[in-house]
Amino acid sequence: MSAPILEIDGLDLGYATRTGTAAALRDVSLSVAPGESVGIVGESGCGKSTLLKAVMGVMPPNAAIERGAIRFRGTDLVAAGPDAWRRVRWSGIAMIAQSALNALNPVKRVSAQISEAIRAHADWPRDKIRARIQELFQMVGVDPARIDDFPHQFSGGMRQRVLIAMALALRPPVLLADEPTTALDVIVQDQIFRSLRQLQTELGFAKLLVTHDLGLVIENCERIVVMYGGMIVEAGPTAQVIAAPAHPYTLGLYNALPRLGAAVEPISIPGRPPDLIAPPPGCRFAPRCPFAQDRCRTDPPMRVLGPGHHARCHRSDEMDALRPAALRPETWERDDALANESNPDTNERT
Amino acid sequence: MGSYILRRLFHMAITLFAMITLMFFLFRLLPGDPTATVISPALDADARAAMQARFGLDRPLIEQYFVYLGNLARLDFGLSFRTSRPVWELIELRLVNTLLLILPSMIAAYVIGAFGGALMAWYRGGRAEGSLVLAATALQSAPVFWLGMLAILVFSIWLNWFPTGHIVTPGRFPDPTWRMYLTLDFLHHLALPFFVNTLYNLCFPLLLMRSTMLSTIGEDYVELARMKGLRERQVLYGHAMRNSLLPLATTLPMILGWSVAGSVVIETVFSWPGLGLLMIEGITRSDYPVVQGAFLLIAVLTIVGTFVADLLYGLLDPRIVYR
Repeated sequence: MSAPILEIDGLDLGYATRTGTAAALRDVSLSVAPGESVGIVGESGCGKSTLLKAVMGVMPPNAAIERGAIRFRGTDLVAAGPDAWRRVRWSGIAMIAQSALNALNPVKRVSAQISEAIRAHADWPRDKIRARIQELFQMVGVDPARIDDFPHQFSGGMRQRVLIAMALALRPPVLLADEPTTALDVIVQDQIFRSLRQLQTELGFAKLLVTHDLGLVIENCERIVVMYGGMIVEAGPTAQVIAAPAHPYTLGLYNALPRLGAAVEPISIPGRPPDLIAPPPGCRFAPRCPFAQDRCRTDPPMRVLGPGHHARCHRSDEMDALRPAALRPETWERDDALANESNPDTNERT
Repeated sequence: MGSYILRRLFHMAITLFAMITLMFFLFRLLPGDPTATVISPALDADARAAMQARFGLDRPLIEQYFVYLGNLARLDFGLSFRTSRPVWELIELRLVNTLLLILPSMIAAYVIGAFGGALMAWYRGGRAEGSLVLAATALQSAPVFWLGMLAILVFSIWLNWFPTGHIVTPGRFPDPTWRMYLTLDFLHHLALPFFVNTLYNLCFPLLLMRSTMLSTIGEDYVELARMKGLRERQVLYGHAMRNSLLPLATTLPMILGWSVAGSVVIETVFSWPGLGLLMIEGITRSDYPVVQGAFLLIAVLTIVGTFVADLLYGLLDPRIVYR
């Protein structure tokens, strides 16, 4: 494997809130090789979007990187300072925003919004910028004659394509995508991902996809990273993680995936994400985990299970024995009061 | 767009017509006989009747109404009871004085308010921002005449920096009168009412801009602008502030008409010979044609202002389509 283009190393990030610091990211380490596709999955509030914002360096004002490094081509952006970071944004690491509806400024022509991104990094003449925008539209499958339209004149899927065109404007070696198709129907979603894969083959950028949809990651990414409560609980090559999940949370996510034609019903994980201000001691998943033991109240080690495959669980070496039980719905069924012990205000059980 | 403007102009004409009609009859409903000030009750009956005939007051009300409409169409607002000069002539001069005070101070209030409000939201949470919000809220709640009197007390009487009122030093009107606008004396007199009016009108755009900005800053497109690697300055002015201007801009023309009407207070405090003072004089002297003319003008300004606001919104926001 070649040297990573993007490397996140032991990142801790906290949000200052009225009631204390929320540990949104804890000891997050992740590296992305040039041209590679990595998918980050986890439920809402697990820190996956926060991670992408941290990589872009656009955290909200109450967020602070407490420890760790974000290295792009070997340079630590956290240490390099805001201006160096600003120059890497979009030219080095670009992002396809989550909501195509709100990510485009409604009162500006899309050409103006793309050209300002180019002009922030390159001193190109006007004609060259316009030609580039037309070329980008062609690439993502939008009529180049429409570059001067306003965002509201495009359909949802088209707008998402415009956002992809914008992200590719400066040929960034790394592309982040945060739930890029949440607002779209499945057919459009499929088209968008197909053209993303095609563009990746042509242009060779590395892709870091964040989603709550395990299925999308399986389809689109060579490597998978599972996050829970601000921590990476399992990471590895997609095929291996799916064939032999080594963390009960990954097992739960896999169970919750609907499968066409199979006789098994999706099984949900009862309970809700941990309180990040006062996280449970030890393993953060333990209060919801059907396999939790007393030792899970201590911090679990990151165990290596194979080349590039590791999981943060005390019992990951016994997983082969636990997996058959995890497939049975009754394993996950439990007294709600018990599951929600640390979070009394929940009513989640779908 | 073209047909939209035509239709809006038609609506404007209807509104104006309704307003003129309402005003005509409202003034006729006023208690007392307004003509008593011109046609002295001391005159004998024949002379009074002759006078009434000269003013057309002997004819039925409905006929008077049509005569009034016809005169208005020719911009004839009638004669002042007091001075016997055409009302339009009086208003014209006073309107210039009012606009010279109100327009620059509204522009200053909106420009300072827009930038100030934007920066307050951008640097939210500081001590300075908190005290500014408090000060603006307090200032907005203070009556403008009280602010004006306070300013006169401090800057005119105690510090003696500015005159207490009037448009130029009394008795120093140049000939022709319009030349006074070119004198330093005029600017010296303008300064204090301008300052007070600006300060008072500043609070509304400032607080509106701040609250609009606070929600705009959280928008995805502002975050995306930052992700694109734009400089903070570009994110602030090019995206956050640009979009926050929309609600503010639409209030400007309406507020303008409204503040010409509100000039009554500031002009009275500073003895500024504008439209507002003319109205007050007209009311205290029962000079009804003058008051009626001034009211009409303010109504027209407000109606036109609203129309301009509608058009402006379309210019600023491409999502608005005129049909």
